[in-house]
Amino acid sequence: MIYQPPTGARDLLPIDVAQKRWIEHRLQDVFQRWSYHHIITPTLERLDTLMAGGAVRPETVIQVWDAEEGFLGLRPELTASIARAAATRMVGAIYPQRLYYMANIFRRQLSEQTHGQHEFYQAGVELLGAGGAAADAEIILMLADALTHVGLERWHLVLGDAGLTRSLLWDFPKPLRTKVRAAIARLDRVELETLPLDPALQERALSLMDLRGEPLEVLQQVSQWTLDDHQRTAVQHLKSVVELLAGHPSVTLDLSLIQTFDYYTGLVFEVVSDSLSGQRVLGQGGRYDQLLGLYHPQAQMIPGIGFSLNVQNLQQVLLGALPQHLPVSNCLVAADSVGAVAAAFRHARQMRVSDASMRVEVELEMRSPSETRTYAQHRNIPQIAWVDAAGSVTIETVFLT
Amino acid sequence: MLTVALPKGALLKDSIRLFQAAGLDFSAFLDSSNRLLQITDPTGVAQALLVRTHDVPVYVEYGQAQLGVAGYDVLKEKKPNVAQVRNLGFGFCRMSVAVKASSPYRSAMELPPHSRVASKFVHCARDYFDQLDLPVEIIPLYGSVELGPITGMSEAIVDLVSTGRTLKDNGLVELEVLYESTARLIAHPLSYRLNTDGLRDWIGRLDGAIALSRS
Repeated sequence: MIYQPPTGARDLLPIDVAQKRWIEHRLQDVFQRWSYHHIITPTLERLDTLMAGGAVRPETVIQVWDAEEGFLGLRPELTASIARAAATRMVGAIYPQRLYYMANIFRRQLSEQTHGQHEFYQAGVELLGAGGAAADAEIILMLADALTHVGLERWHLVLGDAGLTRSLLWDFPKPLRTKVRAAIARLDRVELETLPLDPALQERALSLMDLRGEPLEVLQQVSQWTLDDHQRTAVQHLKSVVELLAGHPSVTLDLSLIQTFDYYTGLVFEVVSDSLSGQRVLGQGGRYDQLLGLYHPQAQMIPGIGFSLNVQNLQQVLLGALPQHLPVSNCLVAADSVGAVAAAFRHARQMRVSDASMRVEVELEMRSPSETRTYAQHRNIPQIAWVDAAGSVTIETVFLT
Repeated sequence: MLTVALPKGALLKDSIRLFQAAGLDFSAFLDSSNRLLQITDPTGVAQALLVRTHDVPVYVEYGQAQLGVAGYDVLKEKKPNVAQVRNLGFGFCRMSVAVKASSPYRSAMELPPHSRVASKFVHCARDYFDQLDLPVEIIPLYGSVELGPITGMSEAIVDLVSTGRTLKDNGLVELEVLYESTARLIAHPLSYRLNTDGLRDWIGRLDGAIALSRS
């Protein structure tokens, strides 16, 4: 019998962890320097908490039955949990609240072909209580900062506006609206062409699906459509955000960037890597101005915006730049006899205390001096400290090949 | 470089003709002495992968090819996350339910509950009978599905029909058409959004070629 982890679960061995931590430390460094604070929410939430926003399908949640609590779910994302915590536990807080998280999330993969992994690691932020273009820009600029800080050189940002696109969809007759939305979300032009729409509306649906490109050009294009006041304000808002992002390497404005189900109400975006192995989404985010209200006891509306980065995807894209070896011990402390072991531990402790960055290991197997040297060579340990029972220490430099 | 996934088999000739009209020559795949699975067009601006029909959407979904040609039947069966950019019009066929000509059933609804249905397209078959609210046992096969009813393993089959000749020769009759299928131009969604490798221009050129072939 060979004991395997369940499909989709994986062990992170020390080198994987070292690489993951390398990325997380850099991300955390940026988050903290933008004045964000770490928040930790429970791994298990009540199912209704997870579903309240309408963006999570129950079949994608790994569920746990508890006799007293009913159905619980392993969190498939953090935003719902943080919105719940903020709306119910941080009453009276001064806004804006800047929060970040580093956490594992769990998803059931529905596709039959990809027996993908079920546990992912995310690093992300939520900016709560700030609704303007400046808040939108802060999130995007911090995202850019974070990606630069982990050493990612080439990436694209795809920007959309879920609120504007949703409102442009109101022009379509109700029975067909969800179909039009789904076809646009999936980039299914053939489906749009076959929907029974008036020629003018069909034209509109097709141009909505292809409304993407250089941001200011796209905004110019949309401005020429017949827009109501709300839509004009949204276009103006997008324009301010785009102007605040000026100088950013690669931004595509894509008004077809919507999901079939989501809680986003304004800006939405995806970060896409541009590596040799192909383009992949590294992270995504958006504005959710109605989500906190769903959790708030008095249904108070608190605007919010955030993003999450998929740490494993970053790890795969950055691979060459990440640590390839585990750190080695700086010194091997060896007792020269059984009676010297206590002295060896004392000396090792002293070394660790005197220099906090020192990695010191004690030889535990009572190897002979020549075996000890061979061991140090294999482990790339540059120094052996021989300790005798009286506590006197002889330092030997190890010849490393 | 732009990479195109082309399907082996019935759609290959028309696909190559289409890309030729748009200025990309992958006709080396039609040469019977060719054993290469990946070729570059003579002008060096694009390459093509020769893959099985069911694998075209896989290469496109994972972004190893930005464009591909796939039958609607394959897309409906596998539901890949790809953009369906154009209906190419060729490769017309239909997905049908068929039974032995000697069988008493004249519509899918008449099939007795819990009958066996053999198919290469198990998801399509499952969805269809679910819609009819008729519980059936789907038997997945990889080819020669007609043998299902002939040998008595299954009462019916769900399979692609183009001329109907194979059915007829094997003594089967078509009861229902689930849907009609044609070849589709599909694209990797992110490449499509980001206009990677000038994808938009290439699709524009293919549009010219499609219009030409229809006129």
